[in-house]
Amino acid sequence: MKKIAGQTAWGLVSVVAALCLAGIATNRGEPINSLWVVVAAICTYAIGFRFYGKFIAAKVMVLDSSRATPAERLRDGHDYEPTNKWVLFGHHFAAIAGPGPLVGPTLAAQFGYLPGTLWIIIGAVLAGAVQDFVILFCSMRRDGKSVGEMAREEIGKIGGFTALITVLLIMVILLAVVGLIVVNALKGSPWGTFTIAATMPIALFMGLYLRYWRPGKVLECSAVGFVLLMAGIFGGQAVAASPTLAPWFTLSGVALCFAVILYGFTASALPVWLLLAPRDYLSTFIKLGVVLLLGIGVIFVHPQLQLPALTRFTDGTGPIFAGKVFPFCFITIACGAVSGFHSLIASGTTPKMIAREWNAWPVGYGSMLLESFVAIMALIAACSLQPGVYFAVNSPAGIVGSTPAAAAATITQWGYPVTPTEMENLARDVGEKSLFYRTGGAPSLALGMAHIFGKFTAATSGGRAILAFWYHFAIMFEALFILTVIDAGTRVGRFMLQDLLGHMYKPLGRTAWMPGMLVTSAAIVLAWGYFLYQGVLDPLGGINSLWPLFGIANQLLAAIAFCVATTILVKMHGARYMWITCVPLAWLVTVTFSAGYEKIFSDQPRLGFLAEAAKVQAALDAGTIANMAAARTQIFNAHLNAFMCGIFLVLVTTILIDSVRVWAAVLTGAKAARVAESPFVLSRLQAEEL
Amino acid sequence: MRAFWKAVLALLREIGDENAYARHLREHGSVHSAEEWRRFSDERLARKYQRAKCC
Repeated sequence: MKKIAGQTAWGLVSVVAALCLAGIATNRGEPINSLWVVVAAICTYAIGFRFYGKFIAAKVMVLDSSRATPAERLRDGHDYEPTNKWVLFGHHFAAIAGPGPLVGPTLAAQFGYLPGTLWIIIGAVLAGAVQDFVILFCSMRRDGKSVGEMAREEIGKIGGFTALITVLLIMVILLAVVGLIVVNALKGSPWGTFTIAATMPIALFMGLYLRYWRPGKVLECSAVGFVLLMAGIFGGQAVAASPTLAPWFTLSGVALCFAVILYGFTASALPVWLLLAPRDYLSTFIKLGVVLLLGIGVIFVHPQLQLPALTRFTDGTGPIFAGKVFPFCFITIACGAVSGFHSLIASGTTPKMIAREWNAWPVGYGSMLLESFVAIMALIAACSLQPGVYFAVNSPAGIVGSTPAAAAATITQWGYPVTPTEMENLARDVGEKSLFYRTGGAPSLALGMAHIFGKFTAATSGGRAILAFWYHFAIMFEALFILTVIDAGTRVGRFMLQDLLGHMYKPLGRTAWMPGMLVTSAAIVLAWGYFLYQGVLDPLGGINSLWPLFGIANQLLAAIAFCVATTILVKMHGARYMWITCVPLAWLVTVTFSAGYEKIFSDQPRLGFLAEAAKVQAALDAGTIANMAAARTQIFNAHLNAFMCGIFLVLVTTILIDSVRVWAAVLTGAKAARVAESPFVLSRLQAEEL
Repeated sequence: MRAFWKAVLALLREIGDENAYARHLREHGSVHSAEEWRRFSDERLARKYQRAKCC
């Protein structure tokens, strides 16, 4: 009876999921309510988790809760510690959730809500969650080894070394992209700039508080920090209204770019307890709170999706970034569907904290589904804006025209009506001077979030006046944890570089050696700083070239993780279950190599780096460009971007070939299928320890 | 509801490294002091920030 009830319930969930997905996919012409998307996503995740995730856990991984995990066998009270599965779920989710799932869907909304929604839901269930889960499992069975170490052990030395270089290069592009998002969000915004500037002394205060005044009181210290941050937001409003102070905090893109670069270097060189750690604690707590609030807000407000299912820009002529819906939707949305960076987390702290092997199922597979739901909420927030407003905020002046009137006319001509007055009123409502050309995704996401939070809270409080607060709260929230990514990423990049350079000159490998630390920190900051600087100067807003480059790099990292996972599955089961990781791998290789090829070789200057360089060169030769130095820089940058993209493709091809060689050898019996798992030890964990 | 709040607090304490600190004190048989926290924190943060943060 219980079995029949269960089957009936799951049958109903499947029918609801199918109906909602069909409703979303076939609706044309009129706005659709976001609840359709929310219900479709939740039902599909539930089915994916219960059936596909469990199938992988039971049949493919053969999880065994009587087997002692590294957390139990190597327990040291620090890294290795058996942890309650729901606590670990939250911990792992907090570690994988960054700015990516918020910004990617916002940018990809230029194609309409449909491509992004389908990719986020289906991609997460069949690829993203599978990657996170399988890598977590592999690492857990190997004492918590990293994906790079597993690549070296299971595929070979070439694969391992290539993985290390790839991660380092991806880090450089990632830091430049997230830096650009902050710069574009704060450009010409005294309120936002003051609020973010205020987070620096607040973090320093928290660092000292935790170190000397109230050691160990992290939650208490973070609560104090949160109150100060809220004061910073209100202080920003006063600063923006002050004729004396406002000019001090009204900065150009270039000035903000140098501020972010300087910040990255300083934060990387300062002791972690002083700035990085307190900021990280605070941003993680706020992140969890905002995700929860956004979830409640979206369900409570359930706004209409104002953007159509498909826009005219699926043909590749989009103003935010160039390129057709295939393959560019699938690299623009990375973290919400499948993200290579997650494989670094799934093979980092988490495998060392799993108490029971079966806990890997909710932690690995489940938390990726939650991350995907965050991406769905970001997509809803962006798509609930009026299309004209969405494009006015996200389109660069180089595409829509350099005056508000010209921009509004261009966007209206596309079929998405907007007027300069409407934009002016909206800017005034949120306490900004202008909302035109605010590329990067963060401002439009903040607008969408502010509308949802505003409507949610308007029932109990002050209506429109609250919109400005929520807008700047959302900007502060995005910038806060982007800056955490920047300072932590710069530090990690420095360690990687020191690791590599240490082979050539030993002292450089010592992380405590001050000259080595300064030189490598400067090298990493200069590397991402250069890309950030060129992004700021780019007439197309920088996001057009940098975000696709980051998306390609991130998805290629996922391809590396799938290579490692497939190699291990082939060694475990032969060819039987290799489709589980090979299908997403094949998809990612197709998508990234198509996108990479187009970014390098497309004959459209907005899309292809080489075509862009050739176009500027031709103009230079014809003498139609006044600023020759800037044109030469643009040519150099286009070549550099093409080179970076090419390098990513070459590196991943190397790992792919190396992996296929190993699979063929194992499947034909030329090589013994030896898996490097730790030996079985019976678990002795007591129930109260879980 | 009580169990839920307990789990939320446990999660916050885990993210804030307070649980890890309690484990550290237990493992080393030491008691809380400013010096002990600094020793623990330096060791933990050095390891924590050698790993990439997710995007």
